[in-house]
Amino acid sequence: MKPELTNIRAFREGLLRKDFSAEEAAKECFKRIKADKEVNAFLSLDERDALRAASEVDEMIARGEKTDMLAGVPMGLKDNILVRGKRTTAGSKMLAGYAGGYDATVVEKLKRSRAVILGKTNLDEFAMGSSTENSAFQKTANPHDPERVPGGSSGGSAAAVAGGFALGALGSDTGGSIRQPAAFCGVSGLKPTYGSVSRSGLIALASSLDQIGPFARTVEDAAIIFDAIRGHDELDSTSVSGEYGPAAAYDAERVRSLTLGVPKEYFGEGIDPDVAAAVRSAIGVFEKKGFSVKEISLPHSKYALSCYYIILPAEVSTNLARFDGIRYGRNSEENSLWKIYEETRGKGFGDEVKRRMLLGTFVLSAGYYDAYYAKAQKVRRLIVRDFEKVFDGNSGGVDAILAPVTPTRAFKIGEKTSDPLTMYLSDIFTIPVNLASLPALSLPVKEYALGGGELPIGFQIIGKPFCEKDILGLGMWYEKETR
Amino acid sequence: MEAPITKETLERLARLSRIESDPEKSAKILADLRRIFEHFEELKAVPTDAVAPVVGGSFNENVFRSDDPKINFPERDFTPWFPESHGTLLCVPPVFEENEESV
Repeated sequence: MKPELTNIRAFREGLLRKDFSAEEAAKECFKRIKADKEVNAFLSLDERDALRAASEVDEMIARGEKTDMLAGVPMGLKDNILVRGKRTTAGSKMLAGYAGGYDATVVEKLKRSRAVILGKTNLDEFAMGSSTENSAFQKTANPHDPERVPGGSSGGSAAAVAGGFALGALGSDTGGSIRQPAAFCGVSGLKPTYGSVSRSGLIALASSLDQIGPFARTVEDAAIIFDAIRGHDELDSTSVSGEYGPAAAYDAERVRSLTLGVPKEYFGEGIDPDVAAAVRSAIGVFEKKGFSVKEISLPHSKYALSCYYIILPAEVSTNLARFDGIRYGRNSEENSLWKIYEETRGKGFGDEVKRRMLLGTFVLSAGYYDAYYAKAQKVRRLIVRDFEKVFDGNSGGVDAILAPVTPTRAFKIGEKTSDPLTMYLSDIFTIPVNLASLPALSLPVKEYALGGGELPIGFQIIGKPFCEKDILGLGMWYEKETR
Repeated sequence: MEAPITKETLERLARLSRIESDPEKSAKILADLRRIFEHFEELKAVPTDAVAPVVGGSFNENVFRSDDPKINFPERDFTPWFPESHGTLLCVPPVFEENEESV
């Protein structure tokens, strides 16, 4: 029987019934990836280790051993997540020949769960971008329309899942890099609470904002992957030790008791009317079924884009200082250390990375630090307070927020590359969540079949810190109602 | 909060960032940065005088010990090591001999 690659639960049932083997499933994925000439989701494949891992799962099942939910599940990894001994480029020429020195904590956890890692997926260089067009190696297309972008920066992971090349994938979300491509590609993507998933082994973009999270074909699948990768890690000092039970365990009573808020500021100027209407229609599903839904206000969210594009470049300019041709990166033939730095970084980094490093260097420089960086961190505090106020249970607050993910559907390849500010505006609805360190789930407003001729629209459910179970529960409820 | 991004500023930033500048792309980068800084102008209107800046994104909190003076060893065990005292303060005996030459 052909491997079942629609969702993780169905895959596992088929695997345990021995309808197909994990090895057959992995081979089917590699066949699809190699036959693909349009999407180009993967930067590198690891066929030998993947087939070996799949075969070990088959042997465990044959011996009747207990296996995890992710056993044998074929997955992709964004190429800014380290795997020991495997090529890890972060989509940059700077790391073209680099191999990971150790497994990221999330990779260790996936390997322990016996997931099958197919390879590394494409991304914007060092995760800087909203379309995956900034990769130094290739462009990835949207599986729903190869003339359009898959979103970014985790566009390869989103396209891998949407295109049926993998059953799940990991990405990283610094300003929307999981939720925006999930929305463009019609799949589910979770940006977890800052600190709930270890960042050890993730090539840092902006350390106060980065978070690893899953892409999946269903919300339940995203919850299953999240349960496998979350948890405290001594190797990441920002990871949090609190336990909050399995997020994938659906609790209907709890979900139905949640109060939902809709921020009025997210439906104003700049959002395409058809996107606004589709998201309003998704909110209507909750209202019709008796959920308490009320309008809320997040007045400082309109400043989030400016804050983000000051804070992020500042962190970028420091985090990427290590890529100098000595510690990491390509070497130069120059004799002077100064020239080695300049030539390596000048030739190794792409335009967007350079633009953000120059911006970051400026806002951190003497005379401008207070006016830009300190100011942005203060306005960030006001954005955090807005969320605290609407989530405050003591003053009639809500439990979760429903909002659009993107102002438009997926745009055409090349449409925004010459205008960085217009490209940055793609993330206008996703950035506030990162600035406030909150969890948020992106899911499609309806099921979008490949070849159906329609470009997906997504909406997001934003939760209180460490309340992933609530937003995933709401997502699972929505999927059950609408599929 | 005007950002004087000039050609010279850009060259200085490139030097500080250790990035070899590409003269062919400088004009475009300069125009892009100016436009981005224009967008940042909106932050000027936000009153933030009494607002504490965010530091990092973590929900973890530093736990500091309160800054209270306390004696954390039993006086009687250690006073013989300090033959000279001034009130409640103990004088630390010299570590070096008086005739020892400094290196």
